[in-house]
Amino acid sequence: MELPPIRFENVTVSFEERDVLKDVSLTLNEQRIGIIGANGAGKSTLSRLINGLVLPTQGAVYVGDRDTQKHAKQIRRDVGFVFQNPANQIIMPLVSEDIAFGLKNLQLPKAERQKRVHETLAELNISHLADRESHTLSGGEQQMVALASVLAMQPRTIVFDEPTTMLDLRNRLAFQREIAKLEQRAIVVTHDLEILEDFDRVLVVTDGRIAFDGRPDEAIANYRQWSHA
Amino acid sequence: MIASKNSSYLARIKPGWKFGALLVLSISLYLIDSWQLLLLSFILSIVLLLSAKVGFKQLRMPLMSLAMILSVVFVLLGLQTDWGNAIVSVLRLLTMCLFAYSVSLTTSFDAMLELFQQVASPLRFIGANPAQIALGLSMTIRFIPELKKVYLEVSEAQHARGLGNNPLAVSVPLVIRSLKIADETAEALDARGYDSAPYRR
Repeated sequence: MELPPIRFENVTVSFEERDVLKDVSLTLNEQRIGIIGANGAGKSTLSRLINGLVLPTQGAVYVGDRDTQKHAKQIRRDVGFVFQNPANQIIMPLVSEDIAFGLKNLQLPKAERQKRVHETLAELNISHLADRESHTLSGGEQQMVALASVLAMQPRTIVFDEPTTMLDLRNRLAFQREIAKLEQRAIVVTHDLEILEDFDRVLVVTDGRIAFDGRPDEAIANYRQWSHA
Repeated sequence: MIASKNSSYLARIKPGWKFGALLVLSISLYLIDSWQLLLLSFILSIVLLLSAKVGFKQLRMPLMSLAMILSVVFVLLGLQTDWGNAIVSVLRLLTMCLFAYSVSLTTSFDAMLELFQQVASPLRFIGANPAQIALGLSMTIRFIPELKKVYLEVSEAQHARGLGNNPLAVSVPLVIRSLKIADETAEALDARGYDSAPYRR
């Protein structure tokens, strides 16, 4: 799978006269990228810039050759997003209908939608959840369904915003295994440092800036040092 | 009620036909005054529901609620008019509900929404978007249990603080959390390719 580079060019994001991100420039080419940092440091904003959920106040973000300010809709087909709280990400009352929701937005024919729903559920070993009502699922099951709904759209990049925060240890490990198996690029915003051990690159975000950018062990050490200071 | 997977012959019939037949049946039942004919229709509705392979677990709660409502209707009608009339009315309502269960429990929610969009398509002429209305309907059904969960959490937290009987102490956090859910869900809709413009911070 060819992964398009993601470029941030002098990106500043301001919200209510406060700079949430300040003049960030970087290029992401790796397959597994982690983003860590304190609460309110700008991690979630950084991740939301990638699929145009947040647009830069200054500068530009490109996915491949596409600018998120001009091609947000097309970019969202290629960049999926898994949110922290899966309960608010699941739109439809039934699991299979929810996974088909994004495919409907892509205007795929019904037969293709059904095929992709079945394939994705089987891929994540959650076929038994297909006809369950979304609100009856456990937190772990909901997070798997949220991942399935993104995978069904066959994006080349998936951004995860603190995906394991609401999961117990067993579900966290299961979800971690699923992320590890992905062919897609995974960009994971997390406080769960163990997830990042096998990653290719980790960014440490502090006060709206990239304070460190490098190998996971070095980045985690840097972040620990910063947290103790 | 949301239909679980159903493999009966009724599930294979197009939703438009089923809902059309239900409409005709419901009107016809109102034109019948004979209790014998209504009893026959009632038996037919039971046979139809049984043939639809709907699990008892799925039917238990709605049937219990229906029995309670119809009991009240029966007693009130019996006291106000006569007991013969009460039997006819209750039999009619019960039959209609059982036919309606046979239809709704063998039609997926998605198929119902598609039908709704088709039926509501003339609304485009007055500027309404049936697809958006259908999405609104599905999200209402999806988020009622979620809001109930939030209500119970808030209520429990306020009870722990000794404020359980204070409506303001429950309603304010409930509204704030509901708005947060709405915000996050809107963001999720955008992320999943639903057609709307991104916001600028």
